[in-house]
Amino acid sequence: MAEIELRQVEKKFGELHAVKPLDLTINNGEFIVLLGPSGCGKTTTLRMISGLETVTGGTILLDGKNITWLHPSERDIAFVFQLYALYPHLSVRQNIAFPLQAEGESRDLINKRVDEVVEVLQIQHLLKARPGKLSGGDQQRVALARALVRRPAAFLMDEPLGALDADFRESMRAEIKRLHIDQNATSVYVTHDQVEAMALGDRIVVMSEAVIQQVGTPNEVYYKPANIFVANFIGSPGMNLVQGVYSDGAVKMPGMDNRYEVPEDWENTLKQSLDDSDGLIVGFRPESAAVAQDGNLVGNVYAVDMHGAYSMLHINMNEHDIVHIRADRMVNYSIGEDIRFNVDPQMVRFFNPASELAITRREVE
Amino acid sequence: MSNFREDGPGYPVTEATRVDKVSPESRIFGKLRALIVVVIAVIMLIPVFVMLMTAFKARSDIVSSPPTVVFEPSLEGFVFLFTERAVVAKARQEEFKAAAETGELSLVDRVAFEAGQQVTGPSDYVDRLKNSFIIAGLSTIFSVGLGLFAAYAFSRFDVLGKDDLLFFILSTRMLPAVVVTIPLFLMFRQLSLNDTHLGMILLYTVFNLSLAVWLLKGFIDEIPIEYEEAALVDGYSRWQTFYKIVLPQAITGIAATTVFSLIFAWNEYAFALMLTSDNARTAPPSIATMLGRGGIEWSAIAAGSLGFLIPVVIIVFALRNYLLRGVTFGAVRK
Amino acid sequence: MSIDGSQAIVEQSPPPKTKRRQLSDRSIVNLFIWPALLLLIAMNVFPLFYSLYLGFTDYSAITRQQPQWVAFENFSKILNDELLWKYFATTGRFALLSVGLQTLVGFSLAMLVNHKFKGSGLLTTLILIPMMISPVVVGLFWKLMYNPTFGFFNFLIGYTQYLFIFSFIASLFGAYFIFKRYFKTKKIYLLLLSIIFVVYGILGLYSYISGSNLFGFLSRFLNPSTAPDMLASRFAGDPVPGLALWAVVIVDVWMWSPFVMLLVLSGLKAIPDYLYEAAAIDRASSWFQFWRITLPQVAPLLLIAILFRTIEAFKAFDLVMGMTGGGPGDQTELISVNLYRQAFLGQWRTGRASALAYIILVIIIAVSNLYIRYLNQMKGED
Repeated sequence: MAEIELRQVEKKFGELHAVKPLDLTINNGEFIVLLGPSGCGKTTTLRMISGLETVTGGTILLDGKNITWLHPSERDIAFVFQLYALYPHLSVRQNIAFPLQAEGESRDLINKRVDEVVEVLQIQHLLKARPGKLSGGDQQRVALARALVRRPAAFLMDEPLGALDADFRESMRAEIKRLHIDQNATSVYVTHDQVEAMALGDRIVVMSEAVIQQVGTPNEVYYKPANIFVANFIGSPGMNLVQGVYSDGAVKMPGMDNRYEVPEDWENTLKQSLDDSDGLIVGFRPESAAVAQDGNLVGNVYAVDMHGAYSMLHINMNEHDIVHIRADRMVNYSIGEDIRFNVDPQMVRFFNPASELAITRREVE
Repeated sequence: MSNFREDGPGYPVTEATRVDKVSPESRIFGKLRALIVVVIAVIMLIPVFVMLMTAFKARSDIVSSPPTVVFEPSLEGFVFLFTERAVVAKARQEEFKAAAETGELSLVDRVAFEAGQQVTGPSDYVDRLKNSFIIAGLSTIFSVGLGLFAAYAFSRFDVLGKDDLLFFILSTRMLPAVVVTIPLFLMFRQLSLNDTHLGMILLYTVFNLSLAVWLLKGFIDEIPIEYEEAALVDGYSRWQTFYKIVLPQAITGIAATTVFSLIFAWNEYAFALMLTSDNARTAPPSIATMLGRGGIEWSAIAAGSLGFLIPVVIIVFALRNYLLRGVTFGAVRK
Repeated sequence: MSIDGSQAIVEQSPPPKTKRRQLSDRSIVNLFIWPALLLLIAMNVFPLFYSLYLGFTDYSAITRQQPQWVAFENFSKILNDELLWKYFATTGRFALLSVGLQTLVGFSLAMLVNHKFKGSGLLTTLILIPMMISPVVVGLFWKLMYNPTFGFFNFLIGYTQYLFIFSFIASLFGAYFIFKRYFKTKKIYLLLLSIIFVVYGILGLYSYISGSNLFGFLSRFLNPSTAPDMLASRFAGDPVPGLALWAVVIVDVWMWSPFVMLLVLSGLKAIPDYLYEAAAIDRASSWFQFWRITLPQVAPLLLIAILFRTIEAFKAFDLVMGMTGGGPGDQTELISVNLYRQAFLGQWRTGRASALAYIILVIIIAVSNLYIRYLNQMKGED
């Protein structure tokens, strides 16, 4: 249980700015996910919290205590590695007991804790084996057990499911979340898989190019992305983004005479944050649009993906823009046919093409 | 150190390290470690320096006690190595002195004169060196050539008794040279191969074959077989596949193997000692017996050893990435 | 690729040559392997059988007599010869000392070099030079260096006393600076450190001035009559048996420690960092990290190095011939040197030498069999 605070924490490797100065507060008991593509700085940030990486500047606080320069073992954290990092020449039981032994705990306490943890993770049958002989999933369970046994203030996990098979990942995901809840822990989880992040996180920190793009709950990040990067990155497929020109209460989009009427409550905001001649990007999620005979927008069916419960239509609006719309499985759409659709005005998100930021009403008020 | 734990190292850290590795203790240890390594490296290289120095010392400097570190360099060693000399008769000393002053004497003659001798002709060593070149060079070409074909076959095909054969090829390398030489000596004598270039070339070829096969097999193993499979599907014959596809990709491996074989053949002493006496004698046995006017001619030996050593050093540097592989017969690849 | 066989333009496909004179795989294999094999059989296998036959005769290569069959007489003479057992023992001792020290030095070097610092690549390459010099040349050189009158070996050891003196003076200076720092920061350990340095400096200088043990001992090396004569097994004129063997061991260690270092280093580099990171987080002691993480990963390579060097140690010939020729007396008479002596010097006892050669052969083939089996196992794990 702990609150982690990062103040202006940055990391440079030579001239390369791997993590630009960032501020973040992780609340007590929270499961926070650092999400982003390779090289965005999420792993480096996690490693700085753990002490496996030095900071070039800034401070890290754990429950108010400055831990920036403490030895990794002095920080009361546990780390779960992507490649498990189990000691190859110890048995599973010895691996799990090890952190407690290193701290000189009594044999009784060690046995008790190890048994508890083994029970939680259901790995009693593996105790005598060497890690090298186990499957990936089992090895990761042992790694989790080793992390749990110390009852640390925070769990730091570096893409722990990255090396596992896809089907395993889903079940392990649920296990990890379960563990977090049962242990009442504070967890910091790094991943590049936005599906995982959305499923696990209480809050998600979306990072790209060494900078935090947005911090928010899965809902916020999904429906109210702060900028184009987040809009694209979250969701599969990403948010539909169509650029048009705003004038007179409507957005004119290229191709096929598409004109989107901006909802009234937005008109003021948009007028204030844009010149008439500026472009405007309209964003909406596939499920926020619906095919309609009298729809305002029109396009040409480019492809149809059948997904069991629904279909995903790829609709060609003009040369550049293909939007994705979720549609009823039961209707057959033929490729090449023209199709009309509407976008739910409640779920629309507007972006400024120049700054790539979302336009929010708060901005103006 | 409470200072470090509160304030950190006092400068922005821009490398990838753990926190405990930038603590002052850690850095001191690091510096100490570097120092020890440098010291050890220097100690290891001292004998090589000694050899270098000795090659350029005049006789008097070599046998001085205590040994001199600062001295006037002389080419005596090289001259002694490459020439036969005779002592200059007292009567002719004036003549030589005059010639030296007027610049009529060549460099070589002048150096010889400084030691009171005159050059009478090239020494045996020149011949020995030639022999070394010929024998080491040709045997390397043959052993790598034969080894290449055998290695390819062993790598790509299931040869009957492959493991045993490979073991057999390697095991002959494990024996002391003397063990094999005793019967070989008699055989050579029968076939009049004793002290001949042909005999030595044959022997060295076989000697290096084991190394060549093992190394080359390792290199060829690393070439993905898919290239050949694709070529075969396209209609190439096996020979064409070997020639056009495997060979170009194995060039670096072949180069490395050639060099290692060359080094071993070049440095070889035991066989040369026992199976040659004069005609085909190579350099290593003859360096050991450089006797001059006053006993062992150290400067000549040093000069010869240096000449021997320098090409090897250059090659070692060029091949440093393959070094590990070469000396463990391909068992370990870094 | 076209399906209908028409003249499609396929860019990368080579024009297949006519199928007339293609050799089958079978014949290719034979063609490739047999020349090498034949050569090997002629020059390796056949001689070994011949040698076996000779072992049962009393042949001498310099006489004109035909070999006479003497059955097991040679073998029994060898096995009963005390001298020969002594040479085996000498060789064994040499192998043990040499390989043992090489392993220690090589391993330590590898551990030291493992952390990158400026120029570590160059340094490692330089350290590899001794390995590549012809062993007989190395032997000759060290013969010069070991010479008690004008060799560098004694000279350098004697001169280390000045290094010590330098360190005493340096520590006094160091004490001064450390004390200044203590004054600034008031840290107790600095005070203690400076006291230690002062004590070391003063004690050391005093011992030099009074000529006490350590320096007296080192000064001896500078005077030929009180210095050791390694290759004659003497120290200040008194015989020290076994010193010559140590001299040879030192040179062998010098030559081959880098080899062990190379192997161990490659093993060390293969250990993934995250194991050490996990250990750091778990507060594992350095001993634990070494014993449970480092050592198990380098053990196979270390074993290869040890096996390889042991086999080579039994083969040792060139080095000894260059340096001592087996002397003084027979202190460095290794088994291969003795074999040479029996077969090619003196009486040229070819028959008897062949018998001895066979015994050596059997032993070595047995050991190298193990080695190669182990090598294959290791390669199979890759």
